[in-house]
Amino acid sequence: MKNIKLIFAGVLFTLSASFIGILLSGRVQLGSLGRAPAEEGGPLFPPREPGLAIQGRQVYISLGCVACHTQQVRPASQGNDIAKGYGPRHSVARDYVLQPSVLLGSHRIGPDLANYGARVSSENEIHSHLRSPKAGSAMPSYAFLYTTGKDGSVVPTEKATALVAYLKSLKIDYSSPEAKLNQ
Amino acid sequence: MSQDSYRPSFTLSRVDASVAQPVRLFFASAFLWLILASIVSVITAIQLKDNSFLGGCSLTTYGRLKALEGNLFAYGWVTNALFGLNLWLMSSLTRFEFKNAWLANLGGVIWNLTLTYGAIQIVLGNMNGLSLLEMPKEVSLASFVGFLLAALWPAVAFSRRPTGHVYVSQWYILGSTFVFPITFALTHLLVLWCPAQGVLQALVHSWFYQNFHLLWFASSAIAAVYYFIPKESGRTVAAYYLSTVGFWTYFLFASWTSPASLLGSPLPLWIQSVGVVASLLMLIPLVILSINFLGTLSWNRGLSQSWNNTTLRFVLVAIFALILWGALFAVFSTRGFNAVVRFTSFNVGLEHLLSYSFVSFVIFGATYFILPKVTGSFWLSPKLVHLHFWSSAIGTVSLLVITLVAGWQQGSGLRTDWPSGIFPAVLFLIGHIAFGINAFGMLTAKLSSGHESTHA
Repeated sequence: MKNIKLIFAGVLFTLSASFIGILLSGRVQLGSLGRAPAEEGGPLFPPREPGLAIQGRQVYISLGCVACHTQQVRPASQGNDIAKGYGPRHSVARDYVLQPSVLLGSHRIGPDLANYGARVSSENEIHSHLRSPKAGSAMPSYAFLYTTGKDGSVVPTEKATALVAYLKSLKIDYSSPEAKLNQ
Repeated sequence: MSQDSYRPSFTLSRVDASVAQPVRLFFASAFLWLILASIVSVITAIQLKDNSFLGGCSLTTYGRLKALEGNLFAYGWVTNALFGLNLWLMSSLTRFEFKNAWLANLGGVIWNLTLTYGAIQIVLGNMNGLSLLEMPKEVSLASFVGFLLAALWPAVAFSRRPTGHVYVSQWYILGSTFVFPITFALTHLLVLWCPAQGVLQALVHSWFYQNFHLLWFASSAIAAVYYFIPKESGRTVAAYYLSTVGFWTYFLFASWTSPASLLGSPLPLWIQSVGVVASLLMLIPLVILSINFLGTLSWNRGLSQSWNNTTLRFVLVAIFALILWGALFAVFSTRGFNAVVRFTSFNVGLEHLLSYSFVSFVIFGATYFILPKVTGSFWLSPKLVHLHFWSSAIGTVSLLVITLVAGWQQGSGLRTDWPSGIFPAVLFLIGHIAFGINAFGMLTAKLSSGHESTHA
């Protein structure tokens, strides 16, 4: 192999093969995926995110939360996520179609958050955990997201409010045509 | 270790002199980023142990510092070093005298300035959520131009080479040089500029991540191993006829392995299965590489002789790391094993095995060989070389044991905490400082006026 054109053409072919075989094929299958009802005539899922939650996603990204948390529940055949209580069903591609930036994550230093909003009882519980995490939690305190009011009360900043709204919005509480809740 | 590396060599060959300036710039930048990344790595390791450490400020959250560490290591240390390594290797193999040092220098300056800007933005929280794509999208265009100016010269050297013979190293350098800009441009386009819909972003990202590690990092490092083993051992490559098959199968399969990092994700099962099959097929080129490398070194007590040569000692560790990585990657890409170790520290260990134990060790070994040739100076202290080797070697082994074992335990439900790795992080920092002192001692030493010498 002495010809640079041959090497370039060969390398380009190998790269193009994977690009077409994986990415373009994936685009053909998933590119037109949209919201859909679990059953004919039902409401469309996934639900649209509240505006505050969309802002909260940026705070989540900005603080680097994805370094420790995933947002994907694996099928029972490929892990024990459902058994651990991370979600009532596994995640499917349709769950992410409205998300401008998908944050699947790759490390679980903390728990999976795909269904975190359904696991906590209230926004106050999330605020409390962000300010002073429970004993034994690996998560650091995000007290810098809070200020003290004139009366000495704890006041969440706009970032804290948005982040909590985002975390509360993370729910897998609906069926999808690909994965039903009761399965 | 051999004293060859420390022998004064005050005149540069014409070819070495022609590339000396950009190679010194790339290596100097790489060493600075490496030390900076090592400091950040110690901080993040401490944060894993004590989550209140530097926790009172948004600038130093674990997530931001981890992103910073990864970018400094990948784009600052490894990529800068590969710019220099590939340029020097190709010029040396082709006997090509480089005429456009200022353009390569300009590329290096642009690359490092954009990285500096991007790193600051990460600390400020203006970042994206995908690993190694965290820097804001406005950085990508400048980075792309910087890369083209800094890294495409090996292709120019090859096409204008005065000598006709071609070596295996040159295939891998050309392959990596072609792959990186194409992958970089397509990924930035499909993730940051015109984002693909939903989980396709994760698929594009995994394609980029795998190509970046296997076809830019590892391919360039493989090129260097193919150069240094015959050069330093004085033997021809064993089973040379297999190297063509090794090269093409490596490039063909590596890029398809990306979905293996997304097993269990919401992507279609057939895409995940393609990744598993490709990961197993990667054993073919890795077996060929092992035969080529170890077959050459193991001949006539070559392994023990290699241990006494500074460059080969680092390269030897790197070869074993590559073999171990290949075996673990194939086994733990299968569904059963992957289900256990997915999302655990096991994957940190696997990534470390490839990007540090293999790629960085090759770069270290290469630096000990190349730097005297482009500085006209010699290594300041053999003791610092020993300190660097043993700190890095013990650090890498301990980090691998910690992350791989803990990862398996996490996946099996035997432990819940994440290993911190403070001990190896401190060892790395010590080793890298020793390396930096030696390297900057050479880089700042006054060069002799022998640049015009024709001494080879």
